[in-house]
Amino acid sequence: MEIKTKSNSLSIKAGKMCAVLFLVIMIVFTLYPIIYTVFGSLKTNAELTSGGSFLPREWQFKNYYQAFVQADFVKYTINSVILAVSATVLAVVTCALAGFIFARRNFIGKKLFLALYTSMMFISLGSVTLYPIYQLLRTMGLSKSMVGLVIALTGGQAVNVLLVMGFVRGIPKELDEAATIDGCTIYGVFARIILPLMKPILAVVALFVFRNTWNDYITTLIMTISNPKLQTLTVAVVQLKYSVNAAAEWHIMLAGASIAIIPILIVYLLCNKQFIEGLTAGAVKG
Amino acid sequence: MKKVEMSKGYRKKSIKRQLEAYSFLLPNLILFILCSIYPVIWTLKYVFYQYGGIGTAAPKWVGLNNLIRVFHDEVYWLSVRNTFVYGFGKVLIIIPLAFFLALLLSRQTRWNGMAQSMVFLPTIMSSAVMGLVFYLLFNAYNGEINQYLMNLHIIDAPINWLGKKHAMKTLVITAIWGGVGNYMVYFIAGLQQVAKDALESARIDGAGAVKTLWYVTIPMMGPILKIILMLSITSAFNDITNVMVLTEGGPNNATMVMALYGYKYFFPISASESVISQYGYGAAVSVISAVIAGLVTVLYLRASKKLDDIY
Repeated sequence: MEIKTKSNSLSIKAGKMCAVLFLVIMIVFTLYPIIYTVFGSLKTNAELTSGGSFLPREWQFKNYYQAFVQADFVKYTINSVILAVSATVLAVVTCALAGFIFARRNFIGKKLFLALYTSMMFISLGSVTLYPIYQLLRTMGLSKSMVGLVIALTGGQAVNVLLVMGFVRGIPKELDEAATIDGCTIYGVFARIILPLMKPILAVVALFVFRNTWNDYITTLIMTISNPKLQTLTVAVVQLKYSVNAAAEWHIMLAGASIAIIPILIVYLLCNKQFIEGLTAGAVKG
Repeated sequence: MKKVEMSKGYRKKSIKRQLEAYSFLLPNLILFILCSIYPVIWTLKYVFYQYGGIGTAAPKWVGLNNLIRVFHDEVYWLSVRNTFVYGFGKVLIIIPLAFFLALLLSRQTRWNGMAQSMVFLPTIMSSAVMGLVFYLLFNAYNGEINQYLMNLHIIDAPINWLGKKHAMKTLVITAIWGGVGNYMVYFIAGLQQVAKDALESARIDGAGAVKTLWYVTIPMMGPILKIILMLSITSAFNDITNVMVLTEGGPNNATMVMALYGYKYFFPISASESVISQYGYGAAVSVISAVIAGLVTVLYLRASKKLDDIY
């Protein structure tokens, strides 16, 4: 009897050890490329390519100076910030308005539009659709401007509109009715009653749109073809891969990569809970 | 007389209500039509045309020729095969890993929360930027992975991670890196929905941890598992950025996936390549790829319904 419990507790201990080992391996696996990027950005190119220690031998902060000044990353950083902020604001405003009205009013064409929004979640033609968008923006004279880029990056937002709609449906209608009786127009109901209550879901939308625009590569790459001055950090960093002396510029690539990922890392540090909870909100509803 | 006036007033009010509704919808609707509806219609139309873009010959009606050409395009079917290899590889590894992580981390403690945030971290990273970083890490001659493996004497000669033989495996590894946190969070959400009293009664009945997992937790997670599997399958079909940056579909189409194959008829895959502007053909490739992805989804839904009947 005693032996049995002993072997039992031993096997539990072994199991726990395995679990911890598994976790440690997974965490090393997920963190290693990020740590490599940050430390690598502070090494010399020779140290990077010939194999050195884990930490930089001498911290080469001038890599960042080189990236910012020689590779013009100041400009790209400004572009990234303007673009990500504008797309986020545009997406949040339009999704809030559309999601609210889908949840609260019946109007002509509502069924059709709802069906279209839902079906767009399933039809995925991929990046090919960027060509007609680009052509359209070109005929509108927007293909070389930040405005066109913001429009293309914000896109239809069908998923987020439906997400907001689902959220507003969960807010009691009596609130609207009471406000209407008190003399509020629909605009008043939206601005004074529903909007403040929508904040949690709008935060989720904002976070994800910000992340997506900041990280986007393909859409931005294509929409800046005719005006490379508008390129963002993400695009500019990846383009270094194709520069003539790429082999001698690993340190600059990693410095650029760090510049591109550090802002999003800071956002994540501040609100990782919202990221993780937002993901499940989106998945369960969508 | 009075009745007519009333209905007039009602109509006016109704028109006003419609206008009000559209004033809310319109900002998003414009974006939606511009960026979602119009491109799909454009693509569907050009499936039947031969077109090389602005400044070339006007679009020429070619009927079903583009579609027929897709069916005879060996490289395209290779890309379909690669997509399935990539998708299955990714899903088969990422789902058990994520599930296991979720089981270990689902209890809300401070340490678990920290571990969760660390595993989730890659999902907020740009797959393009990290694609570049992986390109350096997996570099055959100067990359750190080979350096480590050789220093530890696990391998004698550098492995050509991005060569024909290993490129797909490397791609799957990076996809797992970028996605495992995502699915872990889905599973944690699912685990929290498993009824506590079911677990409790299993414990009282004397079921061990493994038995509880196998007979209670997993069956009860069935519905959410189905959603998670479907999300992972459909997302695997759309992965294109990391392929584009890390391997560019090469070497020699070894990692060409269907989404990237359609893309290359519109835009250059890398800055060192030039575009083959065949918009009609690219459109046909994309539409057929979308149909294949749709078919897989439908088949999956049917199969998972059958599983329901068995249970």
